[in-house]
Order: sequence, then C-alpha cells, then structure tokens
Amino acid sequence: MDSLFGNFDLSAFASALLLGISIGSIWLIAALGLTIIYGTAGVINMAHGEFLMLGAYSSYMLQAYFGVPFFLCIPASFVIVGLVGLIMERGLIRYLYNRPLDTLLATWGVSLVLMQGVRLIFGSDPKYIAVPQMFQESVEIGFFSISLFRIVVLLITALLVAMIWYLFYRTRFGMQVRAVTQNKEMAAAFGINSGRVYMMTFALGAGLAGVAGSLFGVLNIVLPTMGTSYVVQAFLVVVVGGGSLVGSVAAGAGTGELQSIFAYFTSDTFARFLLFVLIVILLRYKPQGLFAITKARR
Amino acid sequence: MKISRRGFLKKTAVAAAAIAAPHLWVPVTREAWGATLKKGEPIKIGILFSLTGSLAVPEEDSTLAMQYAIDEINAAGGINGSPIEPVIIDAKSDFNVYSEKMKELILRHKVIATFGCYTSASRKAVLPAVMQHKSLLYYPTCYEGAECTQNTICTGPLANQHSKDLIPFMVQNFGKKVFFVGSDYVWPKESNKNAKVWLEQAGGELLGEEYIPLGSSEFTPVLNKIKQANPDFIFSTVVGASDIAFHKQFKQEGFKVEKMPIASLTTGEIETKAMGVEYGAGHFLSAPYFQGLDNPTNAKFVEKFLGSKYGKNGTTHYNMEETYTSAYVFKYGLEKAIADHGIEDVTSAKLRDASAGIKVPDEVSPEGLTWIDPENFNTWLVPKIGQCQADGSFKIVKQAAEHVAPDPYSIYPDLGKCTAKGLMAPDGKLRTNVI
Amino acid sequence: MFKSNPYHNKTAQWVVYVLFFGALAFVPVLSDDAFMMNQFATYGVFGMLALSISLCWGFGGILNLGQGIAFGLGAYGMAMTMQMQSQDPETSPMPPFMLNNSVEQLPLMWEPFWHTGWGIFIALAVPTLFCVIFGTIMFRARVSGPFFAIMSLAMLSAWYTIILDSQPFTNGVNGISPPAPLSIGGFEIDPYSGFIYWMVLFLLAAMTLIIKLITTSKFGLIVQAVRADSERVRFLGYSVSYYETVIYAVSGFIAAIAGCCWVVAVQYVSPAQLDVSFSISMVIWAGIGGRMSLLGSIIGAFMIQGGQSYLGDEFLATWLLILGGFFIFVVRFLPKGLAGLLESGLGLLVAKPAAERESAPGPVAGAKVQG
Repeated sequence: MDSLFGNFDLSAFASALLLGISIGSIWLIAALGLTIIYGTAGVINMAHGEFLMLGAYSSYMLQAYFGVPFFLCIPASFVIVGLVGLIMERGLIRYLYNRPLDTLLATWGVSLVLMQGVRLIFGSDPKYIAVPQMFQESVEIGFFSISLFRIVVLLITALLVAMIWYLFYRTRFGMQVRAVTQNKEMAAAFGINSGRVYMMTFALGAGLAGVAGSLFGVLNIVLPTMGTSYVVQAFLVVVVGGGSLVGSVAAGAGTGELQSIFAYFTSDTFARFLLFVLIVILLRYKPQGLFAITKARR
Repeated sequence: MKISRRGFLKKTAVAAAAIAAPHLWVPVTREAWGATLKKGEPIKIGILFSLTGSLAVPEEDSTLAMQYAIDEINAAGGINGSPIEPVIIDAKSDFNVYSEKMKELILRHKVIATFGCYTSASRKAVLPAVMQHKSLLYYPTCYEGAECTQNTICTGPLANQHSKDLIPFMVQNFGKKVFFVGSDYVWPKESNKNAKVWLEQAGGELLGEEYIPLGSSEFTPVLNKIKQANPDFIFSTVVGASDIAFHKQFKQEGFKVEKMPIASLTTGEIETKAMGVEYGAGHFLSAPYFQGLDNPTNAKFVEKFLGSKYGKNGTTHYNMEETYTSAYVFKYGLEKAIADHGIEDVTSAKLRDASAGIKVPDEVSPEGLTWIDPENFNTWLVPKIGQCQADGSFKIVKQAAEHVAPDPYSIYPDLGKCTAKGLMAPDGKLRTNVI
Repeated sequence: MFKSNPYHNKTAQWVVYVLFFGALAFVPVLSDDAFMMNQFATYGVFGMLALSISLCWGFGGILNLGQGIAFGLGAYGMAMTMQMQSQDPETSPMPPFMLNNSVEQLPLMWEPFWHTGWGIFIALAVPTLFCVIFGTIMFRARVSGPFFAIMSLAMLSAWYTIILDSQPFTNGVNGISPPAPLSIGGFEIDPYSGFIYWMVLFLLAAMTLIIKLITTSKFGLIVQAVRADSERVRFLGYSVSYYETVIYAVSGFIAAIAGCCWVVAVQYVSPAQLDVSFSISMVIWAGIGGRMSLLGSIIGAFMIQGGQSYLGDEFLATWLLILGGFFIFVVRFLPKGLAGLLESGLGLLVAKPAAERESAPGPVAGAKVQG
C-alpha cells in the first residue's frame, strides 16, 4: 500500500483505464448469455459456467480432431452449445419455469453432470486451442499496447451486443420475446407461443456462452473446471445490471473498469474484494439492479 | 501446578467413564494403533493424491509414478522379501477429503506410511492426524519450509534450495532488474523471500512484487505494471491454471521472451504442453529434475516409465521424479529400520528415524544422487536450470556443482534450527510439531 | 388405515425424533472404531449444516448459498482458540505461521483467543452478528428469492478472498491446523473417541429440538406466511425484514456451532470451508433429504456424505455424475425431497374418505404445513 501514489504514472494509469475496457468486455461477453436467459425467462442458470466450458471444449475438439480453423470454431461452438442448451431446456428447464429457486438448483445439478461428463470424455488434463500467429501478437498505440486477440474479443463482444439488440428490438421475434418477458399470459392471449420463445432464448443464451467459452480457451486454459472462475463474475454483472441488455453492458464495463483501477492502485486480490463490497452496497440502494426490466407482478 | 491439576482432572474423568464404558473415554496411546509389520506379509502404504478435480493434473501423475515405483520394487523382490501393497485413495481435490482419508489410512488401513499431498494446504490438513498418531508422511514436492514436524520426509526442493542458482544465473545473463509475480498464497511469498536473499547477494534490484488470486486468469493489470517497471527478467511463482494464462497473456500482450524472459519455479513439461510451446519456449525453470536430463539412469527411467502402463500421459516431470525417488527413500529407510529393530518392532516413528541420511544413489535416482538430511528430513539435491526449447523439451543450461543443503528456517534464523527432535530455538528451547 | 396422514401427526413426529437420536446415541457402545467415531462426528456437523439450511430455505424460504460464511467464521474462531491453547504467553506468544509472515506481535484480533471461553464466544458471536447485519441490509432492501441467493454467493466469495488475502492473520490458503485437541477446563476432548461423537450428536439433537419449537410457535407461523407471500404479510403490518433477518441469523448461528464442532473434530480450517461448492453441497443435502423436513435434511447430509466416503471409491469417476443426476431428478420430480416421498407414501395409507377431504382445496389442507 505504500506504493499507493508512490509510482503513480499518468501513462500507466491511462493504460489501466484502457485495459479496463478490455477486462469489461470479457466480463460482459461471459455474462451475455446469462443476461438473456435471466432477463427473458427469469431462470438463474448455474450451469452457465459449464456452457462456457463446453464452448471451449467444442472449439478444442473441432480443432484438434477435425482441423477446423479457429475462426470457424467460434460459430460452430455457438451451434453446439446452443443445441446443448436446447436439449436442457426441453428436457428439464421448461418444467420449472414457475419455480425460480428450483431452476437454480436443478441447473447446479446439470453443471455437476456436464463437468464430470467432460472430464470422463476428455480427461482432466488441460487442453489448448491454437490461434493464428498474428493473434499471439500485440499492437502498440503510443504508450498503450494491447494484445490483438483482446481487440478481437472486444469487437466480437460489440458485434454480439449489436446483434442481440437488433434481434430483440427490431425483429418480430424480439417483439415476442419482450412481450413474453413483460407479461406471459397477455402475450399468450395474443397468440405468442411463450414456450417456444423461452426455448429459443435459452438456446440463444447457451450459444452465446459457447462463443465466449471458445474465446476464453485462447486467453486462458481449457479445463473441465474453467467455467467456475467466470460464473460468479457473470452473475454479478447480471445482478448489477438488473437483467437487461443495456444494464449488463453498463455493469460489465463498470466492473471491468473498476477492477482494473483498483488493481492498479492495490493488488488484484484486494481489488476483487473491494468490488464485491461495492456491489453489495449498490444493491442495498438499487436492489433490482441498475436497469431492471419492468415485469407484471404475478 | 496447572499441569498437575489438568492431569488430575483427566484421571478422575477417565476413572468415572471407565466404569460406564471402558473403551470410550480412555485416552488412547496413539502408537498402539500404529501399523505392525510381519515377515513375509505385504507392507501397506497409503497413496493420497487427487485423481479428480482441479488438483488432478499434477497429482494423478504422482500417483502413476508411485505405482510404477512400487511395481519396480516389488518386481525386484520387495522389501526384505515383502511386497509393498499400496492403498490408493482419491482425495478429490477437497481438503476435507484429504483430512478424512488420511485418518482412514492410519486408523483403518493401518498403513506404515503415506505418500501424498501436492499443495501445502492439503499437507496442513492431514498433518494434525499424522502427528497425533505418530504416523509418517512422504511429501514428494517442493514447498516453502518453515515447518518442523517429526512426521514428514520431503523429497522435493525447499524454498531455500529452489531459486538459489536461478536468481544469480538470470542476473548474470539478463540484467539486474527483476519483477516478482506469484499466486497469492504462502508458497510463492516464502519463495520470494528466499529469492530476495539471493537477489541481494547477486547485486540485483527488485522493481516490484505482485500476487494474483489463485485460479485467476486476468493478468493484464499485472502485465501493465510490469511494462511500466520494465525489468530485465520476471521471477514467477504463479501456479496451476493461472500460470498457463500468465504465459499466454505475456506473449499476447507483446512481451518478448528474448528481452524479458520468465524465470519460473513451476512451469515444467506438463505446463508447457498445456499452454502450447509457442507460449512456453525461451523461458526458464529451476527444478531438480527434467525429462531431458542426460544421464543413463534417467534415460532408462524415461524409456521404461513411458513404455509402462503408467506412462500414458507421455511425460516425466519433476514432481513425478520426486515421487519416484521417495519410494526408494522409503525402501532403503525401511530396510535399515528392519535391520536395526527387527521387522516386528518397526513403527512409523522408527522408520522415520532410520531414514536419517538415507542416500538414493546415482544408479537409482534419475536426478542423480540425493540424500535425506539427518536433522530436518528434507532432501539434499542439485537444482538445475532448464530453458524451454521450441519443441517443448527443456535444455539444461546450468547445473550446480554441488548439492544444496535443505534448511526450512534459512531465512528465519531467530526461530531456530529444525532438528530431528524438533525446532531448537536459539535460546535452547525445543518445540515439537511446529506447523 | 389412518384417519389422517401420520406424517403430519405431532406425536408420531416426536416419537420418530426420539427414536432417531436415541438409536444414534447407541452407536459408540456398539463399536470402538476410533476412525468411525471421528468420521461420524463430522457427519453430525454436516447434519447441523443441513438443519440450518432446512430452517432458512425450507422453512423461511430464503435460499442461502453462502452458509459457508457462518460456518467458516465459526470454524476460524474455534481454530484460533485451539491454536492459542498451544501457545504460551512467555515462550511462544504467537502461532508459528505468523512468525514467517513478518508479524511482530500478536495481532489485536487474536488477543481474546487466549481465553478459551472468550474465544468460543467470539467464534459464535461474530458469524451471528454478520448474519444480522448482512441480513438487515439485504432484507430491508427487499432483496429476496434468487437475488438473495446470488448475493449470498457473492458475499461468500468476498469472505473467501479476504481470508485468503489476510495471510499474516489467517495463514492464507494453508489455513490453521491447531496441533493439539481442544481442552476445556482441563478436560481434553479427544477427537477420536465416543465423547466427540456424543457431543456433536447432543448439539444436533438440541438444535433440532429448538428449531422444531420455533417452527411450531406463532413466530414460526408468521415466517411461513412470509415464505408463502411476503407482500400480503407486509400489508398486514408485519415487518417482513425482521422475521427474515431473525431466521437467517438463527440459521447462521447453527452453522457457526457446526463450524466450531468441525474444528474440534478435524483440527483444521482453511478458506476451503468457504468454498462455493461446499456451501452449495449443503443446499444439495437439504434438497435431496427434503428441505421441509428437519430430519429429512439431516438424513440427506448423512446419506450424501456417507455415500461420498463409502461409495466414492467404487464409483470413483462417476460419483459426481450420479450425484448431479440424482439431484436433478429430485428437484424435477420430488421438490420436497425424499421426506416428501415418505409423506406421500404415508398419505396412501390414509382411509379413503379422509383422503378425499384432504384433496379438496380448503383451509384444512392448506393449514398442513411443516413436517
């Protein structure tokens, strides 16, 4: 702590601010799928971390066994994990929509099964996803340098947010989703098949987790347990954001930025602690999160 | 005064209870539960590593190495004609399970000794049970020291041995300025304290010291600080999955291995394989053993091990070798204990005493001759420095001329000296079971 | 044939309680296996945790995924007490781990632990106080349901992080391993004897009794009303947050006692006790056993932990798969757990006319709550 302002350096601090955006994009992409699933169906998906893990493993599998180039692995992971989500929704979640605490627990059971299943299939040794040479490099802009791959992550995050926004606010399907979110019964009265909407959003959310997972496999390590380190973060983003898309974007950027700044001034561990405390305090005053979705009270 | 009253109360309580149900309250003499050996009957030992969960990556390999060593010893006639019979238990990467299973091994399976644990936390979880039952733990990996029990034998490098050569080597070849990065727990912090001693001797300069939460995968804030400090090399004690993320992000964030290599105490063959060689090549590791070590014993060990049913993972690495050697420390120690006391009278405590000074010769130990310190029961060994090559193997770039002595209290001379009987404080007071 | 479901019969329930704990009390007389005594004592601790979850979640409707906080804080308090028992003010005033963490003198927060009584008091008071404060903040802000679950999870992570980070005071990830068993007033509690088993069993039985009394009181009735519909209770003029906080704090207090017993039995505590997966397994115990039933939750803990110890080695690789699958099954088809299965099983024995009366929606059926 004696170095609190001892070696304060403007360019380093500015770098920390810019890196915060990158960290924020990682928080956000990890939370995107969860946001959609929670925001629409109110399901707290504890298996979200394992969806991320599955995304990483599907990319690994496609690359290692079938030689698929990395950037094709990303959409493929979307499809594979999306299908897993679809099966899970049809087989389990749809029976639990009116029991929010039970979905939380059932999905925890699913996460145990997925984690152990992957371990049985692939073994518990770490795997590795190769990326083209250029993405192992960094770019330098004045005093600031950042890895090219993080820019890719940032761009993909932005692209996904834009696509989700378009899907939810500019298409017929999106209108149905919003209608179901606000009032399921009224939506049903207008002929919207809410079961189908839930199913599609759940698959979509799972698929997004798959995309995030295949990106994390490059930044980090591919292990059956890798999801658990992201899932608490993802939950915090959703809770702080209130479950809406704009809320998650704000919460992801905010928490990432704060983590980077705290870590700059103190240590990484203490930064985490500070962040948790801040979030608890925030929720004291905004229990529904920053941008809550208005729902009909049932 | 206090003690006598306590003793009196205890006796009264025991007497009262003995009337009701004799076996329930009597404080048990723990040795009475210990293992006994009989001539010609198998010798039971415990193997307590995690085969599942987050610790499975290093620990499963240790189990395999141990099984291989036992097969080898048994094929050569066992110990005094008795085969070793391992009780293999999966600790599931859960410290509660470690603690419970250690008790089961001691009390139910009545093993004479247990080989196990990789993290210090799991060691601390099992030690109370080991100490109370005067059992014996072979701990085959590197650790921080600052511990003096009468119930452990360690075959890995202590913090005072591990970086002794590495730091001067790096300072000479790359420059004086260094940045320390470690995982946020006890071993990295202790290792760094030792490293500071060597750094000072080598005339180096410490620019910064950062710790990352265990399991964290976000290294950009730390790398930003490193970039700012601009050291000549990085000294890393980051462990596990974080270590892999660290090396990946190091390269992705534009750091160049030629300009600022990472000198690590952990990043070996397994880690390099997991991260991909493009991220590992060029960095340095200090360890007593490398797969590429050039000596006939090692060549034979690597070939036979990888050819056996235990060699499925395709590498031999320092942890596995330390485990393998510990099996021979056990064999030689037990042979000596049997010769000294007769097989019926051997207890875990006598086995431990007999292991003082046990040597594992060049023909058996793949890392070369090592021996157990007769006072603190850690291992005299030769730390080597290897550089990761483009194919993922390590090339030995420096090897110490002589063995380095283990000293668990090297940086805490005020606390005393670890002796066979306990921690001897400078004022002459002896304390046992210091953990 | 019964007139009404014997599962809900008050007398029958008390008889079952007495039989259950009475039978368990005989175990040490039948066997003197030291390992078993110690192991069963830890199962008893898990039983207490499941009990506390049952109170909080099954009864109060508050899903707490952070019960590890109260458990861990209690355990740390007890470990500190036991550690200080083997220190001496003159010759070795500080635990060994502090000496190599550059601590000059015993930190203030460790001072009270010289005295065993104070130590145990703090070990129980701090977690309870934490629950009161955190509960007040959360419940006043009307955080409830899944949101509270997630917040308790976040809080758990925060505590985990800070205990890990305060290495000079807590020994970080390595935790505290007191070298000698706890001694109270000169009597040493042997962790491998029938005594520890009886101690844990007695506490478990006492707490079950207390919770049973709470649930059958008027206070308990209001808490159940809050679980069913907190808004309506609020409109009736009750302070919902008060009831929620009390239940949450009592449950935390039980977890703190469990934490103390845990360290007495295993002589070890580390941040692993505050691990997310451990806190969630407590919920799984109660969920599978039957969260609405106190005994059911306890038996759920015994079953799963016993299964982990005794089946785990045979099923090694598939254990988590089985556990996960079983848990999904229970949540999907048996929301009241195995106890709920028993409840409906016994319901089949009920004489026909009564069954018809019960199945009709009405105040009589609605009033049948806690089992």
